[in-house]
Amino acid sequence: MGKYLVKRLIHGVISIIVVIFIVMLLVYGLMDRQLIFASDPNYTRLSGNSRTVYMYQQWERYGYLDYVPYSDYLDNLVSDGELDSATRNEAAVLGRTPSGDSDTTQTYVAMFTDYYESQGYDVTRLDAGRTARDGSQLFASKDYNIFNRLWTYITSLIRIDNIHYASGIPDDERGLSFTWYDPVYGGDTFSPAIMGNGTHHKYLLYFDDQFPFIHQNIITLRLGTSYSVNRNVDVWNTMTDEQGNIVSSSVIYPTGYTANTADDLHSATYSAGSLAAGGEYTQMRFEDDYTVVTTNLDGMSRMAYSFIIGIISVIVAYCLGIPLGIVMARRKGGVIDKIGTVYIIFIMAVPSLAYIFMFQTIGGAIGLPTTFSLVNPTTLMWILPIISLALPSIANLMKWMRRYMIDQRNSDYVKFARAGGLSEGEISRKHIMKNAAIPLVHNIPASVLGALTGAIITESVYVVPGVGNLLTRAITMYDNSVIIGVTLFYAVLSVVAIILGDILMALMDPRISFSSKGR
Amino acid sequence: MNENVVDLSEFNLSDEDLFAHYDISQIETEKITAPRYSYWKSVARVFFKNKLNIIMLALLALIVVFAYLYPLITQYEYVYNTDAASHHLSPSDAFDYFGGFSLKWIFGTGAGGESTFDAVWYGSSISISLAFVCALINLTIGVAIGAIWGFSKKVDVIMNEVYNILGNIPYVLFISVMVLVMSASFWTMVFALTVTGWLAIAYFIRTQVIIIRDREYNLASRCLGTNIFRIAQRNILPFMTSVIVTLAATEIPSYISYEVFLSFIGMGLSDMSLGRLIEEAQASMLTPGWQWEFWAPVAVASIITIVLYVVGQNLGDASDPRTHM
Repeated sequence: MGKYLVKRLIHGVISIIVVIFIVMLLVYGLMDRQLIFASDPNYTRLSGNSRTVYMYQQWERYGYLDYVPYSDYLDNLVSDGELDSATRNEAAVLGRTPSGDSDTTQTYVAMFTDYYESQGYDVTRLDAGRTARDGSQLFASKDYNIFNRLWTYITSLIRIDNIHYASGIPDDERGLSFTWYDPVYGGDTFSPAIMGNGTHHKYLLYFDDQFPFIHQNIITLRLGTSYSVNRNVDVWNTMTDEQGNIVSSSVIYPTGYTANTADDLHSATYSAGSLAAGGEYTQMRFEDDYTVVTTNLDGMSRMAYSFIIGIISVIVAYCLGIPLGIVMARRKGGVIDKIGTVYIIFIMAVPSLAYIFMFQTIGGAIGLPTTFSLVNPTTLMWILPIISLALPSIANLMKWMRRYMIDQRNSDYVKFARAGGLSEGEISRKHIMKNAAIPLVHNIPASVLGALTGAIITESVYVVPGVGNLLTRAITMYDNSVIIGVTLFYAVLSVVAIILGDILMALMDPRISFSSKGR
Repeated sequence: MNENVVDLSEFNLSDEDLFAHYDISQIETEKITAPRYSYWKSVARVFFKNKLNIIMLALLALIVVFAYLYPLITQYEYVYNTDAASHHLSPSDAFDYFGGFSLKWIFGTGAGGESTFDAVWYGSSISISLAFVCALINLTIGVAIGAIWGFSKKVDVIMNEVYNILGNIPYVLFISVMVLVMSASFWTMVFALTVTGWLAIAYFIRTQVIIIRDREYNLASRCLGTNIFRIAQRNILPFMTSVIVTLAATEIPSYISYEVFLSFIGMGLSDMSLGRLIEEAQASMLTPGWQWEFWAPVAVASIITIVLYVVGQNLGDASDPRTHM
């Protein structure tokens, strides 16, 4: 069994990588990169060279290509000490056309061109109009290679925080420190924490009063940084960060300054030079460059909202769908069976959009809140989304449970049990149920994990701030890294769900064994 | 000794008079005397025995007439009515505005003062066509590949991998990219819905084939030397007919639902389809008195899908030879 599982897991990982590869091909290869400007106001405002430059800058941000302007190249030379700033300024002045360049400029332009063309870049020189001569008209660009992109993406998926992360900290100050008394709580409350200097996060391990009470920042998942959906935030954080109203409390800053604020000091991350740049406000509160903090909000994360709605509806569905299916099968042709069949046909045939709106209208008519609100949350607002999600899965479970039960009723072992004098109830409970439930058990992990991915229509109809619409939003906003990150998340969940389903099925049914291949 | 036994010698006849020689025809002995059985006739008999099916079929005919003939008769074209008073009218207001009862205004008017009734049926024709074209393509490819997938163990290994990989790519993503790459036209949508849509059908058929493939009668058939195509044609296909019809019954309405869903998330057709109508009328849902615009296409879409589903399911049941007794 162990060997089999390892094989399955390796298989799963390979297929996930291939999925990512295909999605990258689709997103970066097939989709016209000009499309990202379709609804961009900046793009329509610009014209001429600045529009071209803007396009390349955006393409770099969306991850299409590597873009190097001539001026950046010169700045690099300066910082490497190969060029003094006077020559740099002279070399940076480009003529309107290549023939108008000064001798110095011509030398450096030639160097720039040779250097980047030898690395496979395309060097573009735009003829300046009357105005722009700032060097932005000359740049090199190179499309990222798909294999390269895949490799970089996979290798940077998991970041392990280490003391060599931050730049600008002297080497002898780098290190980890352990304390029994977390300074965030004033320094006298017992609360162990591991803190780092030189790491990305200041707090690597700490305790607080929120579930699951112990938190770590050592391993960070990086599924891809969003560009337009949730600017500069990683997809994983977009899904798991809290939302809602600001919650202020008394906070003691590293300097000892106390204020009533929503800053979450445990989330402090490093940003080089931020203490000096932050001015008096920052210097009053912080002692080092770990100044980037998030704020405490009272709502749950997107994923938590989706998961709670999803998991409750899954539980409701299994608790109602299976017994109803059994009743339908036992009284086949009876009133309950007929009503149930009509219900199943309704759910199977009618577009989901139609019945979700119908439930919303009916729910609204009897006084239930029809939209979700983060500002003043109530318990009642959960009811309609949960019902909307549960009703179709109830129909599905009813359909299959009834079908499996009826199929099993005609099998020989049931006839034998009946001939042996067992009561119908006993046969149904002890014999048929066990066999009919096996295929349904296989789907339990998929439904539970599927709750994490949210529901597109239900969430948008009831305005639930969940993860369901993340993928569709990313697609409509051309946020390529979010598309890839969300796909990866879905793929991992589905691979894990299938493996868990198989294990669960093997546990339920001793006849199923993984060690040998069938009969 | 039995009293009824007659001693033939009592008749004083020779053997030639008593017995006549009968020629045995080798071909005649092979014939089985049973009433003629026609498969499709039996299917029709079982199908029409249920009165509900006749009603549903009549409804289906009515839908087809309205979806395909009505727009032709009325020469459907989107017209914007410049008079703002004609916009968002409920049926009774529309009758008042346009002077008396007529079929055209039975669902009221839309945001541009156009007839919702006309738009709904024109949209239905596009949605139904889309569903049938997609179902036809997906079922043909799916059944063919599924059959090979189920039979050949080598193909099974490869196809399982393909299924595991492609199955993990969100369907929405595939379709959206297709829609964005090409325009959102009818045939783009067909392409997007069929490019991976056959995979699930093929997988389903593969499972069914595997179940039947290893049954004893097929084993016997193989031992007797029947070639694989004959087994597929004579032993397995009859079993699959009802499965395929049932599958078609769930597939066809599902494409209509899917088209509605895609329009909802903004990836729908650029043609006036049911999905687009519903999507455009969504905002009107929240305004009192304007709900007709939204519920009319939703109701029509639901009726179409239910009728198609019920007819298909019952046809699937009827095409199962075990119900022909």
